[in-house]
Amino acid sequence: MKDSFTLHELYRTAKGFTQQCDLTNRIILNFGEQVIAFRYLDFVSFRRKVDRVNLHDMIFNLDDAYDFEVIEAPKSNQQLVLTLCDLVQLRDLLSGTQFALDLNSMLHEALYTYAY
Amino acid sequence: MKDLQRLRTSLKEEVELALNAQVKMEAEASSKYLAMASWCEVNGYLYSAKYFFKQAEEEREHMLKIFHYLADQGVMAYAPEVGPVPHDYPSFRSIFEAALQSEINVTHSINRLVTLCRRVEDYATENFLQWFVKEQVEEEINARRALELFDVIGEEGTGRFQIDRHVYKITQLDVE
Ligand SMILES: [Fe+2]
Ligand SMILES: [Fe+2]
Repeated sequence: MKDSFTLHELYRTAKGFTQQCDLTNRIILNFGEQVIAFRYLDFVSFRRKVDRVNLHDMIFNLDDAYDFEVIEAPKSNQQLVLTLCDLVQLRDLLSGTQFALDLNSMLHEALYTYAY
Repeated sequence: MKDLQRLRTSLKEEVELALNAQVKMEAEASSKYLAMASWCEVNGYLYSAKYFFKQAEEEREHMLKIFHYLADQGVMAYAPEVGPVPHDYPSFRSIFEAALQSEINVTHSINRLVTLCRRVEDYATENFLQWFVKEQVEEEINARRALELFDVIGEEGTGRFQIDRHVYKITQLDVE
C-alpha cells in the first residue's frame, strides 16, 4: 500500500488486504483478483453472509453444487465465487478487518474524544 | 483515521444482534397469540379469541417498535423468520397458562437486554428498553388475572362461559 492521507490499511493476510478510505468512507476489500468497496453497513452484512456459509456441507456434500459458493457483494454488482479454501481465508481477512475497525472505534472513544 | 463504525451507528454489534433477536421473539409471541385466538374462536370462546387477537396485534407493535429503533440507530433490522407455533391445547385453562409462561419468558429476555446495555454502557438503548420493562409488568398482570378468573369463577357449570366473558374485560379499564 502506498502512503496516503486518506487510505489506511486495516488488515492483511497472505491472500488479500483491506483498507479504509477516509475520503469516501468506504472499506475496500482486495481479495485475489477482486477489489470491492463497501459502506460500513454493507461490509458488516457481507461479513455475516460469509460467516453463515456452511463449510461442513461443502466438505461432506459430494454434489458439484457444493464445490463453490457464490456470494453477492452488496450494492456493487459484483459477486465472489469461492472455494472452501477461499472462504476460510476470506473469513480470516474479514474478521481481522472487523477487529481493526472495532479497535479504531475504541481508540476514538478513549483518546480522541476531546481532540475535535 | 475516521471512526467509520461510530459514524454509522452508536450500537455495539452485540446490542444490535440482541435487539434483532428480541424482534424475533416479539414476532413469535404475536404468532403464538394468534394461534391461541384461533383455538378459542373455533372452540366457542369468542371473547377470549378477541382478547388474544388484540394481544397478537400488540406483540406486533412491540416488534415494530424495536424494528424502527434499529433503523433509527443506523443498522439493519431483520424481518424475522417465525417457525410453527403450538395449535393444540388440552384445555381452555392451559392456554392461559401458556400465555403467562410466554410473557414471563419475554420479561426475562428484556431484563437480559437491559443488563447487556449496562455492561456495554449503552444508556440510550437502556432508556429505550425501559418502556418494555414497564410493559412487561402490565402483560404479566393481565396474564395472571386471566388465570385467576378460573379460580375465582370456577370452571363448573357455566363457569367457562363466564370466564370467557370476563377475559376480554381484563384489558379494559372498567373492571366490573
Ligand atoms: Fe411483547
Ligand atoms: Fe406480551
